[in-house]
Amino acid sequence: MEHHASLLAQWLTQVLGLAQHPWPGFAHGASLSVLERYDHLLNAALAALLTMLITTLVRKGLARIPGPLQQIFESVVGGLKEMINDNIAHHGEKYLPFIGTMALFVFFNNLFGLLPGLSPGTSNWNVTLGAALVVFGYYNFHGMREQGFVKYWAHFAGPIWWLAPLMFPLEILGLLSRILSHSLRLFGNIAGEHVVAGIFFGLMPILLPVPMMFLGLFFGLIQTFVFTMLATIYLSGAVSHEH
Amino acid sequence: MKKFLTTAFLFTLAAVAFAQGAPVAAQKSLFEGQFVAHLSLAIAAAGCGLGQGKAVVAACEGVARNPQAAGAIRTTMIIGLALIEALVIYVLVAAFAIK
Repeated sequence: MEHHASLLAQWLTQVLGLAQHPWPGFAHGASLSVLERYDHLLNAALAALLTMLITTLVRKGLARIPGPLQQIFESVVGGLKEMINDNIAHHGEKYLPFIGTMALFVFFNNLFGLLPGLSPGTSNWNVTLGAALVVFGYYNFHGMREQGFVKYWAHFAGPIWWLAPLMFPLEILGLLSRILSHSLRLFGNIAGEHVVAGIFFGLMPILLPVPMMFLGLFFGLIQTFVFTMLATIYLSGAVSHEH
Repeated sequence: MKKFLTTAFLFTLAAVAFAQGAPVAAQKSLFEGQFVAHLSLAIAAAGCGLGQGKAVVAACEGVARNPQAAGAIRTTMIIGLALIEALVIYVLVAAFAIK
C-alpha cells in the first residue's frame, strides 16, 4: 500500500524541524520523518486524547439540567449499558468503563477520516490489532477471574472428555483467530472506505466525495457498533457461568 | 465525424508503429500482480452481495411480520452482516498486500 502521511504530520514535521530520511522497505524509500512514518500512532494518540478530554469535560460539567454534550453522552452511555445488559447475564455493568472507552476511541479514530488534515488511525492494521489485543487480554483475564483458571481453560475442552484432544486445539485456534478477524474487520472497512473516498477526491474534488464521506460517517458508526458488540459478545462468552 | 475517425485511425497506426520500435516486454502471466487482486475482489464482492441480500431480505420479512421485534432483528442483522462482510474484507486486505 502506498503511504500518504496526513497533512497534520507533515505540518508538525515542518514546525518541529524533524529530520527526514528514507525508511528501509517502506513507501519505496520516500524521505519521511518519524511523525510521517508513524502517523497512524499520531492519529490514535489524538483520538485517545480527544476521548479523555471530552469525557473529562462531561464529568466536570455534570449538571441537574443537562447541557447538549451531557445529553449526547447520557444517550451513549445508556445505549452501551443496555447493550451490555442484553448480552452479559449478571452484573455486566462493571465492564461498562472498558467497553465504553474502546467504543469512544474507535469511534473518534474512524471519524478522523472525515476531517481534512487527519487520517483515521484505524485505517492502519497496527492500531486495530492493538485494540483487538487489548480486548482479547481483557476478556481472557476476566474469564479466568470469574470462572477460575482451571475451569476457564477446561471450558475449551468441550463436554466429552475423550474428544478433548481434538476439541482443545481447535478451540484455542478459534480463540486466537478472533484477534485476527476482530482487528482485520475494522481495519479493512475503514481503510477501504478511506481509499475509495480518496479515489473519488482524485476524480473530482468538488461534490463527488460528499456521498462517500456521508457513507464514511455511517460506516464509522456501524463499525464502531460492530467492534463494541463483538467485544461484548466475547466478554459474555468468557465470563458467563453455566448454571 | 470522418475527420475524427481518420485521426483515430492515424493514432492507432502511430501506436502500432511506436510499439514495434519498443523492446519486447518480458512475458507476464495475466494471473499475477494487481489483476488477480482486482479479480478476486470482484468475485468476493459478488458472493458477499448475494449473501448480504439474503440476510437483509430475511430481516425485512421478519420486521414486516412482527414490527415489535424490529430492534432485536436489527441488531442481529447488523452482526450477521458484519460477519459476512469480514470475508470480503479479508480479500481486500490480501489485495492490499499483493499491490
